[in-house]
Amino acid sequence: MDILIYGTINSVVLALYALGFALVYGISRLPNFAHGALYVLSGFITWSLLNILGLPYLPAIILTMIITAVIGALIYQFVLIRIRGMEISEIIASYAIGLAIIESLRYFGFRGMTYTLPAFVEGSIDIGDIPVDYHRLIIVGIGLVVVLLLWLFTHYTKIGLALRGMAQDERAALMLGIDSDMMAIVAMAFGSMLAALAAILLLPLGNIVVESGYNVLILAIAVCIVGGLGSWVGSIFAAFLIGFAQILTAVYLGSHYQMVVALLAIIITLIVKPSGLFGQQKELEERV
Amino acid sequence: MLEATGLMVFYENMLALNNISIKCEKNQIVGVFGANSAGKSTLMYTLSGIMQDIRKKEKMAGGERITIHGDIFFNGKSITDTRPSRIARMGVILCPERRRIFKESTVLENLKIGGYLASRSQAKETMEYVFKIFPALKELKKRTGGFLSGGEQQMLAIGRALMAQPKILLLDEPLLGLSPLMQLTLVKATKEIRDDMGLTIIVTEQYARPVIPIVDYAFILENGAAVLEGTREELMNNPDVRAAYFGV
Repeated sequence: MDILIYGTINSVVLALYALGFALVYGISRLPNFAHGALYVLSGFITWSLLNILGLPYLPAIILTMIITAVIGALIYQFVLIRIRGMEISEIIASYAIGLAIIESLRYFGFRGMTYTLPAFVEGSIDIGDIPVDYHRLIIVGIGLVVVLLLWLFTHYTKIGLALRGMAQDERAALMLGIDSDMMAIVAMAFGSMLAALAAILLLPLGNIVVESGYNVLILAIAVCIVGGLGSWVGSIFAAFLIGFAQILTAVYLGSHYQMVVALLAIIITLIVKPSGLFGQQKELEERV
Repeated sequence: MLEATGLMVFYENMLALNNISIKCEKNQIVGVFGANSAGKSTLMYTLSGIMQDIRKKEKMAGGERITIHGDIFFNGKSITDTRPSRIARMGVILCPERRRIFKESTVLENLKIGGYLASRSQAKETMEYVFKIFPALKELKKRTGGFLSGGEQQMLAIGRALMAQPKILLLDEPLLGLSPLMQLTLVKATKEIRDDMGLTIIVTEQYARPVIPIVDYAFILENGAAVLEGTREELMNNPDVRAAYFGV
């Protein structure tokens, strides 16, 4: 029973880590290695808004999401747009930006155990005989709502549909008047916003530590690779797969093996099915 | 309406378009005929601004060097260096070779994505029209694009292009690989679209015979150059053309 509950929670957490990364990659084929850094950064932005400017919680959250989205858009507009389509350069540049963000946060003293965000609602409830705090339930709830909203957004709004068109065939989208640079910026802003949302939801569970930026990035990449790069359904499925695998390992082998599970999942996927569970290998088709 | 003068396109040192000047008037259907590698698709890409976008991206990646000379005018305004999304917004819509429909989306979604530039009422109206001229699509609304047959995909591609509210529609090899019956359907539909929506249409094809009955004016390309042009009657009566392109 506790495996089921905590497995679900952990899976939703992983899905939240990965959604932003999957969204950006799925739409503009940009592996955003600054994802983890944006996650940590938005944690500190929220903390600053709460404790330095003294804003109430909800406005601070909304403001953080907007600020992070703008930062993501700026990163794209001023750096990544120049190396569009060159995968290695994209990885190096975005990773460099991520490193710069994380290390400058460390440099300016945002480190150690002193920075925490308050939980949305204190207290816990017993499900069966397992205590689960309210905040984790909220995470699961909001996680599901986000997935649902994202699905509605990409199926029923003009911009969402345009984003999906661009994800499938950028040049065909261009012929229909969909500005691919503009859409890539929108995608990056959305991806960053999702990173911020994940941070705001998940950081109250522990301390804000700069190093978690790297962990988040690795977990996000693991989920996306296992699920198939660019496939959102696959990512969510993979999040549950890895999420439960992690909890099972924690219960039966010890919690310090949790990270190994994610990395092992990457390796096994790349050996057995390199395109991931739901990924499609498109290159063959494009060559014809 | 759309006019190109002295258009030259190089891929590295290879000449793909050689000093082509074409012109089409409002409400005409203009044919562009030529064999493989005569430069039909290059011409279409250049007219719709896609070639300029490819040039920009190749330059950024340090890839193939593409050079474009000449001018393109749409309604008297130069669009030679306008961004493709702006050109599309002005009403020049390309329905590309090999259709390039969105294979993972349903027919309905393909049309909706096509309607990105349309207002809500325009999109609704055009979608009804698309289902009217291509009733087959209506039955397949929920079908994923990749599972359609070639002919259905081509209908969808044309429908999707219409959703973008074109003033001038560029059809690049719409009959490629289709059965004679389907070819006939599409040719008839093309004429109908022109008559109903008051569009201007440029259509390219390798083999002129199925399309020639509906074109008003045509150009014949060979090795990137326009070797011959004229009205339908003029071309039909030219013995060389008859032998080479109509198989008579």
